[in-house]
Amino acid sequence: MIQAQSLTKHYGSKTAVDAVDFTVQPGKVTGFLGPNGAGKSTTMRMIVGLDRPSLGSVIVNGKPYHEHKAPLREVGVLLDAKAVHTGRSAYNHLRAMAATHNIPTSRVHEVINLTGLESVARKRVGGFSLGMGQRLGIAAALLGDPATLILDEPVNGLDPEGVQWVRKLTKQLASEGRTVLLSSHLMSEMALTADHLIVLGRGRVIADASVADIIKSAAQDSVRVRTPHTAALAALLAGADVTITNVEQDVLEISGLTVNEIGDRAAAAQISLHELSAMSASLEDAYMKLTQNEVEYRTGDTHAEAEVAR
Amino acid sequence: MSTVTQSTQPSSARASFVPTGSGLSFLGLLKSESIKLWSLRSTYWSFSLVVVAAVGIAVLMSFAMAGRSAIGFDNTEMVVLVSTAGLSLGQLIVAVLGVLSISGEYSSGMIKSTLTAVPNRLPALWAKVTVLFGFTFLVGLVSVVGSYLVALPILGAKDITANLFDSAVLLPLLGNALFLALIAVFAIGIGTIVRSSAGGIASALGIILLLPTVVGLFSFLVDWVADIVPFLFTSAGSQMVAPTTMESWQAFLVVLAWVAVSLGTAALLLKRRDA
Repeated sequence: MIQAQSLTKHYGSKTAVDAVDFTVQPGKVTGFLGPNGAGKSTTMRMIVGLDRPSLGSVIVNGKPYHEHKAPLREVGVLLDAKAVHTGRSAYNHLRAMAATHNIPTSRVHEVINLTGLESVARKRVGGFSLGMGQRLGIAAALLGDPATLILDEPVNGLDPEGVQWVRKLTKQLASEGRTVLLSSHLMSEMALTADHLIVLGRGRVIADASVADIIKSAAQDSVRVRTPHTAALAALLAGADVTITNVEQDVLEISGLTVNEIGDRAAAAQISLHELSAMSASLEDAYMKLTQNEVEYRTGDTHAEAEVAR
Repeated sequence: MSTVTQSTQPSSARASFVPTGSGLSFLGLLKSESIKLWSLRSTYWSFSLVVVAAVGIAVLMSFAMAGRSAIGFDNTEMVVLVSTAGLSLGQLIVAVLGVLSISGEYSSGMIKSTLTAVPNRLPALWAKVTVLFGFTFLVGLVSVVGSYLVALPILGAKDITANLFDSAVLLPLLGNALFLALIAVFAIGIGTIVRSSAGGIASALGIILLLPTVVGLFSFLVDWVADIVPFLFTSAGSQMVAPTTMESWQAFLVVLAWVAVSLGTAALLLKRRDA
């Protein structure tokens, strides 16, 4: 369990994290989302005491992180795949980490097997691919068999098989009753993995709810209709809660009405439909909508960029 | 060794997670820092170079000294001089090693792993200091005793001998090994303060090599500056074994003061700064 109370971090005049309150519950995977610069990493760093909060506090498993007698057995953390000396082998890195807490070497071998690093464990980390680095970081996080896991972008650089492995692993760890806080930019992956989401934007919590609730609240399901009589249909269906977008010449996207309602009313008005399909909103849609005003580093119009490139 | 029940079988959900086994201990940190030190190739290179340079220079100097007789040294002084002369190169090597032992953690990101394992931070620094001090002292001892052993037959041919266990020989040799280890520790402090390899090495070598020269030059311009010279890190270190303007123990205190300032500042900053 992780509990943050008015957690704040200023860097000079810039506020990276602005009085956030949240609780990460055990037994489920909590996704930590937000645009670049929203304060996710800073928050994670404050949880494990690498950065000192400017104001407020955060406690893990009931205490501030630094007050635990065996921090690695309480919290496993992957902040940065490169938190390893490049000249050292993966095996020796894990051994050095384990030694601080008198964790036996047998556990080092276990996490090496668990993360599939057997073949490269004796090689120097400098030659590791991004994916192998991630696996090593996850191995280090699991070393103390901790009740709480904090993983910053764990699937970054992993191959599809690795992505699936992280998904299964995090779900399994949560099902054992552990607290799992996971950040990722891959919305599709997050939708599959997380049970609960905390969305940050410009250092504030802009959503804290279950994945289903977030999708429901932020993005509406819509219906795609193909008809040669778009104008007539649009006039027929127009109403207070109905949004109609003409996406192609003969295609409308309609939200606020169900497939049945549209089909029935079109039939009654004798408007022929060539396609009528429900489109469920994705987490990505919901996320984009939630964060559209919160993006710190917005990409310019692609057209404008092309101009510059020329 | 503690018995640790590791629960890796994820089958059943546990009601609560009570950490098993022992937690952080200073002994564990010492072990961790030893593993870190000896799992990098640079450690082997550096320490080998210290010994090789010391012994090599001792051989060269013994031949040079044995070639000419009576240059104002008595036998004991000559044996000590020959046995310790080569360590000055070693001093520069261990200064670099000391800086890198911590700046390497910053440049690679390892420091984040270290500090999440030891969130109170300072025990990790003290463990690193203890381990590097211990091993550097041993390497220093091997260097000076090795130098003594190779120099002895060469000098002995000219009837220049001295007993290793004569306090006039043993104490200077031990003193040199001790100063070598203190240089490494001083450099850890510099590396922690500066947090960069290039900057740390430049600062440490600047204080050891350049500062005496610069202060020496200024002493020609300003009279009282000359009085500072004996209190510089390197001059105090050499006076620990060959006292001139102050007693050995006074020089030792001056060296300790330098180390204390370096480590004290390092500890303060390490505790305060965001990693």
